[in-house]
Amino acid sequence: MTTESREIVKRGKRTSEPFQTDKLKSSIVAACLSVQAPIRQAELVAESVCHHVIAWLESRPEVTSDDVRRIAAKHLTIHHPDAAYLYEQQPVTI
Amino acid sequence: MAQSHTFDFDLIVIGSGAGGSAAAAIAAREGKRVAIVEADTFGGDSPNWGDVPTSALLHAAHLFDDARNASRFGLRTTTLGYNYPSIRAWKEVAVKRTGAGGNKKFYEGQGITAIQGRAHFLSPNEITVNRHHFSARSFLIATGSSWIVPEIPGIQDVPYLTPRTILEAIKPPKSLIVFGGDSYGVEIAQLMAIFGTKVTIIEKSSRLLPHQDAEVGELMERLLKDKGVEVLTHTRVLSTQQEALAKRVLITRGNEERTIKADEILIALGRTPNVDLGLDNASVAYTAKGIETNQFLQTSTKHIYAAGDVLGQTETKRNSTYSALLESRVSAHNMFHKASIAPDYGAAPEVIFTSPEIAQVGLTEDDCKKRDISINKAVAPLNIIARSNTSDFRDGFVKLITDKKGVLLGGTIIAPGAGEAIHEVALAIKLGLTASQLADTPHAFLSWSEAVRVAASRLS
Repeated sequence: MTTESREIVKRGKRTSEPFQTDKLKSSIVAACLSVQAPIRQAELVAESVCHHVIAWLESRPEVTSDDVRRIAAKHLTIHHPDAAYLYEQQPVTI
Repeated sequence: MAQSHTFDFDLIVIGSGAGGSAAAAIAAREGKRVAIVEADTFGGDSPNWGDVPTSALLHAAHLFDDARNASRFGLRTTTLGYNYPSIRAWKEVAVKRTGAGGNKKFYEGQGITAIQGRAHFLSPNEITVNRHHFSARSFLIATGSSWIVPEIPGIQDVPYLTPRTILEAIKPPKSLIVFGGDSYGVEIAQLMAIFGTKVTIIEKSSRLLPHQDAEVGELMERLLKDKGVEVLTHTRVLSTQQEALAKRVLITRGNEERTIKADEILIALGRTPNVDLGLDNASVAYTAKGIETNQFLQTSTKHIYAAGDVLGQTETKRNSTYSALLESRVSAHNMFHKASIAPDYGAAPEVIFTSPEIAQVGLTEDDCKKRDISINKAVAPLNIIARSNTSDFRDGFVKLITDKKGVLLGGTIIAPGAGEAIHEVALAIKLGLTASQLADTPHAFLSWSEAVRVAASRLS
């Protein structure tokens, strides 16, 4: 089973959607760039975080967006704490 | 009028081990619609990978060891041997006899819907298992714990065993390095040493069994050394490395670094609660040390309870199958009855199934020191009672602790059958008896329990 076949369950009556690695990667890169990280570093960090999230999703066919955000933030904190803070606050700031 | 919700079940129990199965059975007996979800093997750790198979293997090992050393009683033992695949087959028989081990039908027969898969909370009243969504009015989280893998350089590149996987070994390894000298490490070390493995135990504390009183660890260290086990206390592992078929471990002891090699490594450094099941989605408060509950085992989300190893350990509670079963029963009661009860761990015995057995109940001397409790203590060595003469066994003792009024607070027994003898001490502690009352209780001549009476009489 590929990670793209993992479902992200949405709150309320919204339909679930497949997990998209590119979407996660873009949001991590955006968070890193927002705290002035160089573009190449942002991409490398995003790849590492995506790798961990995908590994975590291996045994979980359905999770929530909050789960993905929490796991991504946990690993992003190791690489770039400032970006992780911003990434965690993203739903509030947008 | 408040809107009434309909749920698939009255109770969903996540985890079918000791922490979950008792509650599921109680709720089902009371006519509730119950489901139990298991991510691994039905029955959980105790019957499949923990107490039961380990105890079965230890039973065979101790029989073998006793027989091997029985020439002093006039028995001929020169042709004694063992067949490890047959010993493993015996272990499987013992697991099968539990009924629950790996048996989904055991639960279905009780009217419980048994679901195989990993549960993940989507919301406080809904979980997903294999893409199927299930809702319930109440939940019990009993996901247990997993073996800790330490952050040691090189450990991810070296195949290692845990107390779970070593039970499945085709044959005992020629040599074994055990990381951790607590109860699991000591049990497996003795088991493997009896079957001829050259065992080295690495423990960072100053003694084996650091959660027991000092004399327990010291005696066990001497007994293991008699069996050829090398015990390295005050020792830390710096790195591990694969070298051809062997494993090389760099350790530091004192200010000295050295390398030891063995065929296998066993990691028995304790367990960590399994809390990765979307608890945030259910607003259940938790830390890496376990799920937080009130004294009635209710989590921060009031319809979700937790029991067993997933709660982690506290000063008053040590994780054991007994504690998990107690918490499971207490949770089931609190979920469906108005008057809540709290689990009482005060007289919960702990047994380490080595030879001789080690059993402890209530407070240890170290516990009393930490709590600044004034105590009296007495130790009765086994060699002063008649049974030690007729069985030709002298290593062991009974240690009792009382408060200044003579009320029993704790007891430790190292003796053959200590796991049985400890229960009279447990009963005495639960009923608040004094050492004098215990000493006045008749004890049969030539029983190991005579040492309990002797220790109690020294405190009377």
